[in-house]
Amino acid sequence: MADVEPSPYGDCKFVARVEHIKTLTQAIKSICFNDYGMLQVSEDGLRITVEQGKSIQATLFMPPGAFMEFRVQDFQCFGLKMNVLSECLNLFGSADCSLRMMYKDKGDPLRIILYPHDDDDVSTECAIKTMDCDEPIDYDQNLKDPDLNVIFVRGPNLSKVFHELEKSAEEFEFVTSPNRPHFKITTVGIMQAVFSVEVAKTSPMMMMFNCKQTVVARYKSQQIRITNKAMQSATKVAIKTNSVGLLELHLVMQGDSQEEIFIQFFIIPLLNTD
Amino acid sequence: MKFRALMQDPLYMKEFQAIVATLTKLAKDCVMILGSRQMHFIVNEDQSSSASPLVWAGIAAEEYFPEYRMEAAHPEQEYIVLGVSSANLGRALSVLRGGGVNSCKLKLQRIQFPCISVIASVLTSSSTEAREVVHDVPVTIIPCSDWSAYVVPRVPPSQLALGLPSLRLLKSLIDKLKNISPSLEFQANLDGELNVIATSEMSTVTSRFQKLLIRTVAGSQREASCSVDSRKASAFFGALQLPNEELSIGIDREHSIHLQIDVRQDVVLHSILPAVCM
Repeated sequence: MADVEPSPYGDCKFVARVEHIKTLTQAIKSICFNDYGMLQVSEDGLRITVEQGKSIQATLFMPPGAFMEFRVQDFQCFGLKMNVLSECLNLFGSADCSLRMMYKDKGDPLRIILYPHDDDDVSTECAIKTMDCDEPIDYDQNLKDPDLNVIFVRGPNLSKVFHELEKSAEEFEFVTSPNRPHFKITTVGIMQAVFSVEVAKTSPMMMMFNCKQTVVARYKSQQIRITNKAMQSATKVAIKTNSVGLLELHLVMQGDSQEEIFIQFFIIPLLNTD
Repeated sequence: MKFRALMQDPLYMKEFQAIVATLTKLAKDCVMILGSRQMHFIVNEDQSSSASPLVWAGIAAEEYFPEYRMEAAHPEQEYIVLGVSSANLGRALSVLRGGGVNSCKLKLQRIQFPCISVIASVLTSSSTEAREVVHDVPVTIIPCSDWSAYVVPRVPPSQLALGLPSLRLLKSLIDKLKNISPSLEFQANLDGELNVIATSEMSTVTSRFQKLLIRTVAGSQREASCSVDSRKASAFFGALQLPNEELSIGIDREHSIHLQIDVRQDVVLHSILPAVCM
């Protein structure tokens, strides 16, 4: 790949290279449910967080090992438009590309350069305007409880379960419990028809089942469906919930070269109004 | 006024059909200028469409037509100029797309109205006899007094023209870039590099093509650039039905961009994209 700049990394605070962008592109597409994204880079890796009100949050996390090259000075944080980022990664369509990311300093654009693998003489650079960074809500602290319910599920199976649920329903009710039903999702559709899917803890779809208490919580189906895109490409999903029903769906997306990208969704339960 | 031409080579018939199919995607109407040894098709000659570019094709008669005869209305005149619906002509020629066509005749006739009869001799699999598929495509005969409006455009002078070996990536990029910005800046330089730049409020996208062949250099400056309407550029690439991958891009600084596809020697497709303000 042709090195166009004389000294590529000299004055940049963040520089990274990804060998195959397919998984990253899929991951970013799956969290584009809102326009504003918060990008945070540190020694731990790259995080991109998207929130919708105080009801759903998704964070994409790429550890340094998922990159061909990863260098960052201090902690960098800025906002950008998710659809612009997604459009940029899709410029060569489904063609396999490698990517270089560069960020100089606060106020500078994020520069992303795509290099298609099957043509050495073509490249595209996007300079994406960055904005001030807001602080994403920290939901993690609410899920440090030893009495959490934790279930590990195979990604494609869970995606199928969500898919089978009533499309017109506005709410989903989740039950997770050490007793039967171990894992049950119920929807109420039009004509008040009740539809539910129940999975036993012994099901082959369950990779691990560790529920300490019975938790029943309801969520807006629109928000559960936001997780769909990510779910379809995930290899495994960790479902965690605490006593008030704060739901965490932690997914792993795996690329062809075994690099892992994580997406963490937090969904706030609906409170009973009676 | 007489016009009669015959094609027999299956490859040339397919190419001729592909050229007309390209024009069909660009505009509803098309002008045919029949010369004694050359044929031209022009679409959007008045550039009134904001979304579709000026495109024309020049075909040397001897390339495609072993038999070609044109007699103008008056002996001093050099052309027959016809207006025709590109869709109708495209439909009439679509039979040439598949195989099994022995020959294709084009004949200017007046049945109840002036038309170009497209007569294809098609071999059917069931019998050894060929059957004739005839389409009478209505045409408007444009009188000599109006010809000044239908002149074959001149290729603009380029300060720099580069040859792109494969237009595939440029085509799909422009298709996406048109959603980012209404205008695209094309920059070419003497290092054989072409940059296509789309600027919006939230991003600047620069696509770089390197190691391109330099086709034309005029003047002493190292680079030439011009901004054009991105929809027009995308419409040109989107309309292409030809198998050719090579494309020539010529820049006339601040005036226009000239795109040229050499289908074969003496069969050339051109487009001019006028400069727009950024």
